[in-house]
Amino acid sequence: MARLQLKNVNKRWGSFVGVDNFNLDIADEEFLVLLGPSGCGKSTTMRMIAGLEDVTDGEIILGDRVVNDLEPKDRDISMVFQSYGLYPNLTVYENIRFPLRVRKVPKEKHDEMVMKAIHMTELEDFMHRRPAELSGGQRQRVALGRAIVRKPTVFLMDEPLSNLDAKLRVSTRAQIKNLQSKLKTTTVYVTHDQIEAMTLADRVVVMNAGKIQQVGTPTDIYDMPANTFVASFIGSPAMNLVEGALEGGTFTGEGIRVEGLPTGPSGNITLGFRAEDAEIVDTGGQISAPMYSIELLGEASMITWRLGGALVSIKTNKEYRAEIGDVVQASIPASICHLFDTASGERIAL
Amino acid sequence: MSSKATRQPPTIRIMATSFLVIWLLVAAFPFLWTLWGSFKVEGDFFSKANWANALFGTLTQAETGGSFTGAGYEGAWVQEEFWRAALNTTIVCVFVVTVSLTCGTLGGYALARSTHRYAFWFLLFALMFRAMPPITLVSGYLLPFFEWNLWGHLYTTVIVLVAINQPFTLWMLHSFFKNIPKDLDESAMVDGCTRFQAFRHVIIPVMWPGVITTGLFSFLLAYNDFAVTTMLLSKENQTMIPKIASFLGTTQTKGNVMFAVSAVVSATAPLFVMVMFFQRQIVSGLTAGAVKG
Amino acid sequence: MKHSSFFWFVLPSTLLMLAFIAFPIVSVVSQSFYTAHEQVVVQVKNCGPFGCSMETSVDQEATAALREAEPLGKFAGLDIYKDRNHLAFGEVAAAWVNSDGLPDFGRSLMNLPFYKAMGFTLTYTAVVTPLTILLGFFVAIAVNSVAKALKGPTIFFSLLPMIVTPLVGSLILFWMVDARGILGTGLQWLTDDPNLSVKASTGLMWIMLMVYGVWHAAPFAFVVFYAGLQTVNTDTLESAMVDGATRWERIRFVVVPHLLPLVTFVALIQLMDNFRVFEPIVSFQASAHATSLSYAIYNDLGGETRLLSSAAATSVLTIIGIAILLSPVLVRTWRDFDRK
Repeated sequence: MARLQLKNVNKRWGSFVGVDNFNLDIADEEFLVLLGPSGCGKSTTMRMIAGLEDVTDGEIILGDRVVNDLEPKDRDISMVFQSYGLYPNLTVYENIRFPLRVRKVPKEKHDEMVMKAIHMTELEDFMHRRPAELSGGQRQRVALGRAIVRKPTVFLMDEPLSNLDAKLRVSTRAQIKNLQSKLKTTTVYVTHDQIEAMTLADRVVVMNAGKIQQVGTPTDIYDMPANTFVASFIGSPAMNLVEGALEGGTFTGEGIRVEGLPTGPSGNITLGFRAEDAEIVDTGGQISAPMYSIELLGEASMITWRLGGALVSIKTNKEYRAEIGDVVQASIPASICHLFDTASGERIAL
Repeated sequence: MSSKATRQPPTIRIMATSFLVIWLLVAAFPFLWTLWGSFKVEGDFFSKANWANALFGTLTQAETGGSFTGAGYEGAWVQEEFWRAALNTTIVCVFVVTVSLTCGTLGGYALARSTHRYAFWFLLFALMFRAMPPITLVSGYLLPFFEWNLWGHLYTTVIVLVAINQPFTLWMLHSFFKNIPKDLDESAMVDGCTRFQAFRHVIIPVMWPGVITTGLFSFLLAYNDFAVTTMLLSKENQTMIPKIASFLGTTQTKGNVMFAVSAVVSATAPLFVMVMFFQRQIVSGLTAGAVKG
Repeated sequence: MKHSSFFWFVLPSTLLMLAFIAFPIVSVVSQSFYTAHEQVVVQVKNCGPFGCSMETSVDQEATAALREAEPLGKFAGLDIYKDRNHLAFGEVAAAWVNSDGLPDFGRSLMNLPFYKAMGFTLTYTAVVTPLTILLGFFVAIAVNSVAKALKGPTIFFSLLPMIVTPLVGSLILFWMVDARGILGTGLQWLTDDPNLSVKASTGLMWIMLMVYGVWHAAPFAFVVFYAGLQTVNTDTLESAMVDGATRWERIRFVVVPHLLPLVTFVALIQLMDNFRVFEPIVSFQASAHATSLSYAIYNDLGGETRLLSSAAATSVLTIIGIAILLSPVLVRTWRDFDRK
């Protein structure tokens, strides 16, 4: 009932391109996350869906109607804003009731609907307070409650967790996931935090500079990044990327030499691998270089080298000790390596 | 002020304090002096013999029997009908403030929220209009106003003052609205409001601090105006400021300069009270609005 | 925001500004090219018992009809701009030829009404603006360095000269410097000249007007700078202190650069306001010694015969003056915006 399609959507301000030829088909009941660094066009895309920005080119189709020229109020959506947009002069109860009031929902239904939303967001104790008397987490829940009080076809959430502290973010994240699976409403969620994206999404859209970089499930994106941008954006720490040359299945860069790679491609190649896949060895490692730093993370230690221009890190057990400047070796088997074309940044299929 | 970087050695403190005391004397003394003097007779207020007469009211005592006299006030308010001017000023100020703010909040809100280029041009034109001395515009009003019989009425003056103040009001309210997060009206629009409903239900309840500050400045502009009111109002519709100016022409010859002095004190008193109650808003308007009337 | 909603929201303001600011400017410009109709004169043959004589008389009816038909008056082109009361090309040329040396030329120029007004307006603007900024800055620094207790009253009393109606504020000062007022008597005592009168001396009158200007405007500069001082970055101040900067160097390298944008802002506002100086000249009854462009317009409009065209021409010249004064600021604003 609420499939959301974006066809060749563009947003330009004068000569500046905000969103470039965006195509996406969001299924009913899907939880879709738009992920990217700030200024990549993800918020603009969401605001175009909401009707808060005009679409320069292309079509946005909600259900079976083109909504390009509809006012936000006529699109049957609800939205949670980054700074929540709570009405400071209204109580929690009245804030949540506001959409019902302005949409002329029959008065006798209000109380039941508002109370249901208040229960779902666990705001019973605060319902007669004003936003100024609430903590950040409570305000965030009021914004959520206001979004779910009626049954919209699409939920839009614009970085709803970015104003919360780290601990609260984890619990609210779980609450959002739980609410969405209960309500089964199509959801578009914007964030710059890749952990939020990985934990919440059915599908993730990674964006950069107004363009879609990759669309896929969290696992796809983690395991098979489509280009160096996605590789360096997803994962904590992000994927190590070393520039070098590939010749006859052997990759050579400063302080690193990996053999047994496919013989097909050659030339300037960027080699990528994840810190947790590699390990420190005493001899015969593919990396052999002076150590740049060692950091104790608690559950593990992080060893870093400086290879060419790039910092390369791998995780090892927490008991490992070495001095800065000592030559340390690490094994990088061909099986954990990803290859990217250095010039274009695109992934080379193995 | 606990930081060491902002603490001052005693010599500097003494210098700063004495400089301030001098400035305060310069700023406040003329008002206190005139207030005191307005209760004397002219011979004391302008004393050729001894300046201290103004303090002790030697001649006032000789002429009226007391150290203080309200003769100036009586002359101005009753004899010269200054109350009529005060009434006109009240009418003009009330209407100018109401109309200015009504038009200004609508326009200022739109200018703060529009991201289009023409909003910038609109503000730039308003800034240029703001720079026009009112008197140059007045010379453009007179002929059409005579032709269409609009000259002399209070309502013409109200509309003219509103229009002249509009660029300033727009700038100030525009910067106040910029400080109201746009998430607020956008969430109202997503919740089911039109742009105007969002303005009415969500923005109006939270805009009062900015509107009150802007209203104070609109009031000041209307209250203090001389160029427009003196040129566009007929004698019976005069407001306080042109009335005071006309005292200078007529009463001085009659030796009733004290009428003017007490009228001046009467016109200053409301402003004094205003500064007392709205000091914070005036300061915030001067700084936050980044514009001055 | 949608174009249509923007349009409806700004409509009332736009109409007001078009009708009462933009249209009057147009009307002033066109008025300045016309001059009042001369009276229609008719020759009447007057025959009496002692024979006939020709008499001239004013045909009131025809004059009124003509004025009714063309309220703007007779087209005069640039004549009004060129006459003695405005740019006075003829008189300036004559003065240039007849004068011996620049100072003498300047003196004859100051006898022409427009140049006299222009001279005072520019001097006033050039003197009052920087003095206002300096005084405001020092008061702000001083308030910032004294105990909190003095701050409230200082701000309260400092606001008064600015808030009070310019006409009223200047009257108050004028009465005090009157030869019989406290400051006037004080000046006489100081100079030991019992006949000293501010009203009678051009130089003293100019000084008094400018003193009033600074007195009136300094509080504005003070408030803006004081607010600016509250936002000086304490970390930067402290690091300057750790780096070994003296008190003066801290002001010079941290505080002043921080306030510089505000100085530009205050200067812009002050230029606009000082250029239109007007009310104090009315209050001080100073027109014999000092007039300004605004006062010249007021004078033309206020007389028995309202000299609309003359006022219009002065207005146009004033507007041109303001445009020149503001052009650097406007160009900069436009460039800043364009870069965004």
